[in-house]
Amino acid sequence: MDPRPDPADAVADLFDSSLNLEDAHFKEGYAEGYDYGLEAGREEARQVGLKVGFETGEELGFYRGCVDVWSSAIRVDPERFSSRVQKSVKTMELLLERYPVLDPENESVQEIMGDLRLKFKAICASLGVKLEYKGYPKSADDKNMEF
Amino acid sequence: MELDWELRELQTLEGHKDRVWSVAWNPATGVAGIPPMFASCSGDKTVRVWEQTPSSSSWDCKAVLDETHTRTVRSCAWSPSGKLLATASFDATTGIWENVGDDFECVSTLEGHENEVKSVSWNASGSLLATCGRDKSVWIWEVLPGKEFECASVLQGHTQDVKMVMWHPTMDILFSCSYDNSVKVWAEDGDDDWHCVQTLNEANNGHSSTVWALSFNGSGDKMVTCSDDLTMKIWGTDLKKMMSEDGYAPWSHLCTLSGYHDRTVFSVHWSRKGLIVTGAADDAIRLFVESKDGSVDEPSYKMILRKEKAHDMDVNSVQWGPGETRLLASASDDGTIKIWELQPVA
Repeated sequence: MDPRPDPADAVADLFDSSLNLEDAHFKEGYAEGYDYGLEAGREEARQVGLKVGFETGEELGFYRGCVDVWSSAIRVDPERFSSRVQKSVKTMELLLERYPVLDPENESVQEIMGDLRLKFKAICASLGVKLEYKGYPKSADDKNMEF
Repeated sequence: MELDWELRELQTLEGHKDRVWSVAWNPATGVAGIPPMFASCSGDKTVRVWEQTPSSSSWDCKAVLDETHTRTVRSCAWSPSGKLLATASFDATTGIWENVGDDFECVSTLEGHENEVKSVSWNASGSLLATCGRDKSVWIWEVLPGKEFECASVLQGHTQDVKMVMWHPTMDILFSCSYDNSVKVWAEDGDDDWHCVQTLNEANNGHSSTVWALSFNGSGDKMVTCSDDLTMKIWGTDLKKMMSEDGYAPWSHLCTLSGYHDRTVFSVHWSRKGLIVTGAADDAIRLFVESKDGSVDEPSYKMILRKEKAHDMDVNSVQWGPGETRLLASASDDGTIKIWELQPVA
């Protein structure tokens, strides 16, 4: 037997490893969870990035296509569209050129996309055409009644 | 205005098969011997045009504008000339109707809103039309020759359902009020671009709940707004500065009329003679007038009349008649329209 004077110390020693066991397991579990989370988070972020990037690109491409067709129509027949519509088509063209496709963290992306959507709506209404980008986020999908 | 007044009910008009949302007087009638005329719109998807028959003084339905809108017609407005009627519908379109002889013909349909259109308003000259709706946007349309309409601008700014749009009575400045508790003021920058130039919200003494309607006084230097917060607010601007080249003079809060309503105030209309009328969810109609005996600094208003049980249900719209008449029309969830005449108590 160890010449320990205080029996209380002996008791502490006896349980020491089991107390540490809890701590050790906690740390181990944390590290495992952290690594897992990091990997899963990266993958999820990658998926979100791909999805949002794809959607944004698709919407920009949709507007680009419309603008190209309208611009061609205006070149063929400059009298066909009103000056306001012609100006709006030009504005959309400039907005599309200004959109920082390779700089998603640029704060202007939201504003430019917002302006593009409004101009697009205005042109469609003036031309009396029902064009709709199918991925366009609807502001009200719910069907609740309100007045 | 020291007299006592009463609202005498002249007639109850029945015909709509659902709640009546709004009434609009034809501004070209009721003067120079032309019998007064107004339009009403309803949850029954129709618009009815009513006219007073001079011989009998009774109000009769002259036309029913149906089979065009496929859902509730929420609001209607006559062009300043009284020749065109614009109707805003939950079917996402705005109809333009022309008075042809005794009938009305839908001559144009404005499409663009994503869903319910809630309100429509013509500017003073009749060259511009504004619409708003549940998609939170405000649209400005230019009236082109041949009853063509071109979209001049789509405005985003409100964060919720826009309840009403109203042009200033003399200037091309547009006001909109919303479920987001604010009133927004929109002006053109001279290059065909429209922008929000002012927002009146709780931060500048505005309303703390949905703003349902607004109306201007005769000279256009004051505006009244009414709200779900049970109050009405009076706003003022410097009209001289507004009309000078300096550009925009902001609107500021003048006073709040509280304690008069205990249910939502849905409708407010300021007569040319200075009488403010409200229609509310408590089925009552109230009249207010500026009180001269208040403090010198700020105007104060007092209630001069309260007509309890004006209707059996919510009063959705109250509108003063055109010209110098003391006529008032009210529309209600009870499906009726009532014509009132304001009279001094003998």
